[in-house]
This record gives sequence, structure tokens and C-alpha cells, in this order.
Amino acid sequence: LADLLNMCTTQQLSFVHQFVSPLLKKDPFTTLPDELCLRILSFIDDPQVLARASQVSRRWKDLLSDDMTWKHLCDKHDYGRRLSEASSALPPPALIRPPVLPLSNPEYNHSFPGTIPGPSTLNAMSRSFDRVAESSSAGAVRPPIRSYKSHFKQRYLVESAWRTGGRNTTRTITQDGRVVTSLHLTPKYIVVALDNARIHIFDREGNALRTLQGHIMGVWAMVPWEDILVSGGCDRDVRVWDMSTGKCLYTLRGHTSTVRCLKMSDANTAISGSRDTTLRVWDIRQGICRNVLVGHQASVRCLEIKGDIVVSGSYDATAKIWSISEGRCLHTLSGHFSQIYAIAFDGNRVVTGSLDTSVRVWDAHTGEAIAVLQGHTSLVGQLQLRGNTLVTGGSDGSVRVWSLEKMCPIHRLAAHDNSVTSLQFDDTRIVSGGSDGRVKVWDVKTGHLVRELITAESVWRVVFEDEKCIAVANRGSRVMMEVWSFSPPEDAF
Amino acid sequence: MVETEAPPAAGHIRLQSNDNIKIDVEKAVAERSLLIKNMLDDLGPNAEGQTIPIPNVTEPVLRKVIEWCEHHRNDPPATNEDESDNRKKTTDIDEWDQKFMQVDQEMLFEIILASNYLDIKALLDVGCKTVANMIKGKSPEEIRKTFNITNDFTPEEEEQIRRENEWAEDR
Repeated sequence: LADLLNMCTTQQLSFVHQFVSPLLKKDPFTTLPDELCLRILSFIDDPQVLARASQVSRRWKDLLSDDMTWKHLCDKHDYGRRLSEASSALPPPALIRPPVLPLSNPEYNHSFPGTIPGPSTLNAMSRSFDRVAESSSAGAVRPPIRSYKSHFKQRYLVESAWRTGGRNTTRTITQDGRVVTSLHLTPKYIVVALDNARIHIFDREGNALRTLQGHIMGVWAMVPWEDILVSGGCDRDVRVWDMSTGKCLYTLRGHTSTVRCLKMSDANTAISGSRDTTLRVWDIRQGICRNVLVGHQASVRCLEIKGDIVVSGSYDATAKIWSISEGRCLHTLSGHFSQIYAIAFDGNRVVTGSLDTSVRVWDAHTGEAIAVLQGHTSLVGQLQLRGNTLVTGGSDGSVRVWSLEKMCPIHRLAAHDNSVTSLQFDDTRIVSGGSDGRVKVWDVKTGHLVRELITAESVWRVVFEDEKCIAVANRGSRVMMEVWSFSPPEDAF
Repeated sequence: MVETEAPPAAGHIRLQSNDNIKIDVEKAVAERSLLIKNMLDDLGPNAEGQTIPIPNVTEPVLRKVIEWCEHHRNDPPATNEDESDNRKKTTDIDEWDQKFMQVDQEMLFEIILASNYLDIKALLDVGCKTVANMIKGKSPEEIRKTFNITNDFTPEEEEQIRRENEWAEDR
């Protein structure tokens, strides 16, 4: 044969080549058994490659509709973590399929498991992101079950929208340059409080519903629970509102100075912290004060609740751990050299951020100091704790990601030219807002900047969930609210 | 002739391919195959000098697999943790293995089948990664050309499938 080929002209050889080379080729997916074909596909982590491969032939299409391949891909892209949470929420273990939301009903988007940690997880957030209300309504409507492929597609489209797409609407809240003191995104509402005594209620698309009027001076703290909103501010009153009607249900008196922070421990109980150095435990159904927690020597700046325990951070440089039912202080956490501005609590650990630039981690059971995290060069006013990850933001403009497993820094993000005014993170991203007017999105794993979402003059607050991000900021003398949606178009499914 | 041949050297075992060719291999090398290792473990002290039939693998493929096992004889044994690591790194293949896998497609698929049968996970993964790499970065038509696959979709079906998969092109 070799002799014969040696005698051939180039043209003939070229013919032989054209003739022979397809014969040397073979379709792996008809040659190999399914399990090995799927194993090959499991090494591909790019959905584009898989999507293209499914267009090759019927056999390839059939193989690529195998849901295990897409499950692998979900795992690789870390969409799997959401899945495992999702599947644990489903009753029969046989149904390990991801629930994906009905896109036609954006109101349910919040209920996607994994969006926001439910009360059963140990993740605590520095602010109340309305998590209890989230999960209670999530239980009411079980999302339909779809394949991993459509789950992957959904997640993938949402992720790319966060990177480069998304739709946004901008609305003016006021024209007279006020300070926005708090912002909440709930399963039903967007709630914005200002230092002009007003609280604005919007639907989740940002359409104005009503304004709650009653406070006489600036509103500095508020917490929503389903249709209930509890608010407090400079007029020393704690007010309980029904957001669906706009009615003020109670005006609770007792604090003798500005109410600075508010959280709820259950549907009946709100706890407020005040410049008068006390915390008050309120029964908001009956409209009475159940208890006054006395002990701090200066303004109570921040508080966080888990079960029967409330932790408070104060300008007296200490944090205190209290039993709500007993109404007494269990531990006083001393160590900071100056005012505490931020606190997080997951049931086991307390984390505090202070004007002394350090972040301290404490054992909630013993009250002992576990670690001092140094690095910020100015006031640490923002922190969120989630699992073993802590993210902090400071007046030095930096956002820092810490591992509480190793008690060491993971990322240092030069986030903003000025103060970090707001931050939130989940398994995928960190969103930070600064007084430099930017809202930035970061990859929580790599620490890389993903996107600058908003440019304004000063960002007051930013909140997000899986497919939505809300920011309130100043442009000129106007206070603007931007509502971003990263949901795929409805016709995508 | 088969009956009269000498037994394999000390520390060796004899493998017999499905075309009845006998190949002597060091026991330690052959034990990269979990299938063979388990067989030898079952045989206990009598293992050395045994002839083990490998009925699913032809001689050229068996020789190729043994070549790989010899090169990788000192690799640490795979653990479950390695598995997840490998999966993350997807298509990283070391240089020697890349060269090793530069064979025609028939041989490549035979190696995959053989390593699956012989239970040599690391080789199976190298084979699968090699095929995965051949699929990557190609259009459907380029994939068909690579493997000489006939497009058996009707034009209507093809258009519909293209639309169904458009989302992944949008980046």
C-alpha cells in the first residue's frame, strides 16, 4: 500500500486524503455507551458548547437533553447550591428537581429558595432583609418544578443580565434634597424612609402606592413585617403602620430621645434602640411596651435579633447580649475603643464594627472575644454575616471580605472614593453603594468588579435579591430611586 | 506454542487480549487497573505469574493502555476529593497525556472503552476530556465535520432547535 501511495501524484493523494479522512472519523456518541457520552459532556462547563452540541444530530440532541449534564453545569456554575437548598424544601426526596419561578408573576421571585437566607439557616444579615416574611410567604406558594436545563437557563440569563443587561426605571422621590435613612425590599413592597418625616411605599416595580405621614421629624429606623411597618425617629415615637392601607395603628411612646434602630423578633414583637441609651421591647399587636432594657451608657446605634436573643451596639463602645423574654443583659462585650456603629449576629457569633476602625468577633454564648479583624482605616459602618463569610464596609471607602473560619481577610475591594454607605452580599455577588455616587457589583468569590450599576452624586442605600436591585441616590437636589430587574424576558421559557 | 511458553518473570503478571495475544506486565503497573487489582487481590499470594484474560480489549489498545499505566505508575491513587477537583479544572490535560492521546478517533474511543472496562479512572478522564476538547469552540457544522456525523434533522427541526438554544449564544 505504501508503494502504491508513493507512486501517486499530489492530486491523487489529495483525493485519497479526502476519501480516507472521513473514514477515520467516528461519532463518539454512537460509538460509546450513554454513560460514557454523558461523562464526556460532564467535562464541558460552557453552556454555549452544550447548546451547540445539541444541534448536531438527533442522537446528540437526545444525549444533551439528559438532565444530569445540566445538573453538572448547575453545580459548576454554583447554581447548585441554590438547588440543594431548593430540593430540601421539597417534601419527597425523589423530586430532586429545581423549582423555578413562574416568570409571569414577578411577585414570587423573592420566594426562590436561596435568594435570601431563611430563618432556619444560620445566616444573619446586618440589616433586616425581611427574611422571615420572605420565607413565610414562600411556603404558601410552591413554585412549579422544572428541569435542570431550564433552571440552568434561567440562572444563566439572570447572571448575564447582572453582568451586562437588565432593565431599569428611575423615579424621583422628592425634589428637595433630603437624606434617605432606610430602604427595604419586601415580597410586596419597596419602602423608603427619609429625614423629612415621610415614609414612601412603592410596589416592587417602583410604582408609588402611598406615603405614611405622622412622624413629626426625621424617620431614622424602620422594619417591615408582611403588611406591618414599624418606624421610629427624632420625634421619639415608635409607630406601627399597616402598609396596605397606610393607616397608623399605634403610636408608642416611651423613648426620651431619637429612635436609632428597630428590628422585629416575631410578628408581635418589635425592639427599638434609642439615643436615650435604652432598648424597648414592644408588643405591637396590643400596642404596649413589654420591657425596657437598661444598661448602655450612651446611644444605642444598632441591634440584631435571633430567637430570644437581641444584641445591641452602642456609642458607649460596648455591645450587649440580652434575653428578650427575661429582659436582662446576659453579656457585655467590651474591647472596642470607641463607638460601635454596626452589628451582625447569627445566633452563635456577634460581629461588631466600630469607629476605632476594627471589627470584632465575639462568642454569643460566652460573651468572649474571638477575634479582632484589622484593616479598615476608618469607621466600619456596614457589615453583613452569612455562613462563615463576613463582608464589611467602611468610611475609608473599602469593602472587605473576611473568612470567619480562618479569621483572615479574603478580599480587599477599593470600592468607593468616599464612604461605603450601604452593602449587601449573597453567594454570588456583593453590591455596594457609596457617597461617591456609585453602585458597584462585585463577584464575591474572586473579588473582581463585575459592573458599575449606577452613577449618581451620592448613594444612600442599596438592596438586592436574585433578580432585582433597588438603589436610592441623590442627583442634584432630587432623591431618585432606581429599580433594576434582571429577570429574563417572559417569552424565554 | 501457547502451552509451552515460559511463565512471566518475577513480579509480573500476564494479560491476554481478546485476540489471544499475551502481554507480560509488572504487577504494580497492571494494578493501576482497579479491575485487575481486585482480581489479583482475590487470588491472594497466587497472583504472581497468573494469566488474566481481558476479553473486551484488543492487543493494540491493551498495549496503549499499558503504556499509559507505566508512565503513571507512581501517581498517587485517586481519591474522591480529586474527583471534584478534576471536575472543576475540566479540560486541563498534562502534556504527556496530550501527546499520548494524539491517536485516531477509533483508537481514542477504544481507549475510553478499555479504561472504563478496566476501571482506570484517571485514564478514562483523560480520554473523555480529550473528546470534550474536540467538541469545544465549534459550531454544530464543525462538530459534524470533526466526527463525520450526518445531520439528520429536517430544516424545520434544525431551525427550531437553533431557536431553542439561542439563549446560550447571547453573551
